[in-house]
Amino acid sequence: MTFAELHLSALDLPLLASTFLTVFLAELGDKTQLAIVTISGTSNRPGAVFAGSSAALVFASLLGAAAGGSLSAVIPTNALQLAASLGFLVIGIRLIQRSTPNSEDGVDGSDDGHSDGTGDESVQGSGDESGENGH
Amino acid sequence: MSSVQDNASSQWGIAFITTFTTVFLAELGDKTQLAALLLSAQSGKPVVVFVGASLALISSSLVGVLLGRWLAKVMAPQQLERLAGILMVALGLWLGRQAVVALA
Repeated sequence: MTFAELHLSALDLPLLASTFLTVFLAELGDKTQLAIVTISGTSNRPGAVFAGSSAALVFASLLGAAAGGSLSAVIPTNALQLAASLGFLVIGIRLIQRSTPNSEDGVDGSDDGHSDGTGDESVQGSGDESGENGH
Repeated sequence: MSSVQDNASSQWGIAFITTFTTVFLAELGDKTQLAALLLSAQSGKPVVVFVGASLALISSSLVGVLLGRWLAKVMAPQQLERLAGILMVALGLWLGRQAVVALA
């Protein structure tokens, strides 16, 4: 990749715009973005989350472009995705554990955190919201 | 939750690495790459396609981060953590099912 190749001309703008729109729309509501939402919502380092997710997405597409469509021949992508799904499960279970009233070590000031029944109700209400986001 | 400022940079690093690993592994071989590859094959200008795709991915992750911050503002932390945990488990099951089906 030479410097001349990196120099974008005005003629490339339609291609640039169409690529941007295609990829951006494909990403909206994607599982990756949902993961970013959950990580960002539960972390107090939004800058680090933004930097990490941007770097990962760009690096992944760079790898895909460099491999020229034969990425799965070079890298065991399915095995890595299986590993990623296990990571998702671990993070998710840890978050659920952390949000259960029993593991809370602070003073309990509200009365909606005591019984499991009220906790389940709130989960169902928010679960419907997440279902809408997922579609 | 104590001595947050002492290891602020290490917390930043942990958040960065966690996010990077999660997103990178989840995104490998995904439809975004597929779209980018198709466009690059048709146009013959892979650099333009790569720049456009990168800008789109960075924008989409910015949208995700802002959405997460907004949710953190409007929801109780405990409720958000539970919702996030359920969402993560669901994503893990879905991703795992996809991978197992592809491997089989």
